[in-house]
Amino acid sequence: MTADTSGWGIPVGYANEFLLDREILDKDDTPVGKVDDLDFEILPDGSPVLSAILCGPTALGPRLGGRLGTWWVSIARRLRPNDDPTPVHVGIDDVDHVDRETLRLRITGSNAGTLRLQRWVDAKIVKRIPGGE
Amino acid sequence: MKRLLNLTLGVMTAIGGFVDIGNLVTSGITGARFGMSLAWALLLGTAGMTLYGEMAGRVTAVSRRPIFHVVRERLGVRTAMVNLVASLLLNVLTLAAEIGGVGLALALASSINYILWVPIIGFLVWFFIWKVPFAVIERVFGLLGLALMVFVVALFHLHTHWHALASGIVNPVVPSGEGHPTWWFYAISLIGAALVPYQVFFFSSGGIEEKWSVEHLGEMRANALIGFPLGGLLSLAIMAAAVPVLQPRSIGVNHLGEVGLPVIAALGKVGLIIMLLGFFAATFAAAVESAMSSGYITAQYLGWSWGKQVRPSQAPRFHVVCLITVLLGTAFMLTTVDPVKVTLVSVVLGAAAIPLTFFPILVVANDRRLMGKHANGRIVNALGFAFFVVIVAVSVATLPLLFITKAGQ
Repeated sequence: MTADTSGWGIPVGYANEFLLDREILDKDDTPVGKVDDLDFEILPDGSPVLSAILCGPTALGPRLGGRLGTWWVSIARRLRPNDDPTPVHVGIDDVDHVDRETLRLRITGSNAGTLRLQRWVDAKIVKRIPGGE
Repeated sequence: MKRLLNLTLGVMTAIGGFVDIGNLVTSGITGARFGMSLAWALLLGTAGMTLYGEMAGRVTAVSRRPIFHVVRERLGVRTAMVNLVASLLLNVLTLAAEIGGVGLALALASSINYILWVPIIGFLVWFFIWKVPFAVIERVFGLLGLALMVFVVALFHLHTHWHALASGIVNPVVPSGEGHPTWWFYAISLIGAALVPYQVFFFSSGGIEEKWSVEHLGEMRANALIGFPLGGLLSLAIMAAAVPVLQPRSIGVNHLGEVGLPVIAALGKVGLIIMLLGFFAATFAAAVESAMSSGYITAQYLGWSWGKQVRPSQAPRFHVVCLITVLLGTAFMLTTVDPVKVTLVSVVLGAAAIPLTFFPILVVANDRRLMGKHANGRIVNALGFAFFVVIVAVSVATLPLLFITKAGQ
């Protein structure tokens, strides 16, 4: 790793452009969400290091900004079981690789924790419609 | 041989799939009211759809991602959200118009009021999304939609004055008694009928459903470059057929039935039956596609799993968005709102919203790191940019014209 690359061939300082809004696929190629925001840690020497990918509506809301963003977050928060606004964190160690189109995980989507709404919709609505099994 | 068959099938599907309630209504109304003086708008819209449809298909096949991913990446989350919300509302409006169209076609065939058909059609639309394979939806109805070729046959039976038709196309003159704002409003309606947002999303998402890759570029190009223009010509035939029959008698088109009068005049009952089959297929397919398009773009914006290649329980959120769209569209039609008016409003608002989709397509089709040697060439870029300027002007003019003319009255 040289000073100006991150080990993924991505120049430092370009994390936004290269990561934000990429589609996230799990190790079985199932879509599990979008890179809605990024989480950085500040090292003792002051340089930021990407620590996690944030995913889900509570991560997207602040990026929408304005009143729309506030509404988005407050609706998303109420949809969560524990009223906790912290979005889903996907640790950087669980990321396999990233290219110009997608970000691929080493783990399955159900372990990433982004499929809660999908499971709820499936169990409460889709499975109850004939033919939804 | 199989490849050629597939290619032909694809092109024929694209022709049938291009025409929906928007084309039927706008071509019929403008032919009856303005003769061929607005044919240029139809041709311009079709050219734009062909150009951007091919770009969208190319981006999909090369990057293997549908257009709404690109919309979010290139417009940013906020502007893309505006596009998403606008497109979702338009899809409901379009779906309502298509359901109304199916209802009117069934009413013409059965003499049972269209409103009684609406809930049944709404249910069938949902059932097709829920259970029927993608290829059946796309192919069967696209092919049945070719029954609308009956308008071309009628045109030859009607002792059409070809010379007058051609000179009407080449030298457009606003007919006496019609105001310029109204004429421009209907010009926008024709452009909008060719550039419906759901068709772009469906074309591109359909490419993912059918697992397009770089090897399918030829097939995709044939669909877009041959199928769409021929679909546009079919719309032109519907307009032209109205001119000798409806315009001299000052019959205005307020109902889908009046669009079909030229066919009945030329070919009688047999023509009527074939035409109704075409009306039904074209509007029903479009109803299914516009509802599915809502599921596609919502899922693509938010990164959900989607599509008909997986079981409903693997893409439950996609199916619920489709279901909600169908319920809203059906409910809206049940308010007894006039289907023809809904169609007009939906196509002009579609024309106003389309730049938000075409801009990212144009940008990404130029991204050489993503598209490699399949990026846009100079000519396509020049045409694409010129058309983008036109469509932005259209977008700006739409709302004022909609209000000034009271939706074309």
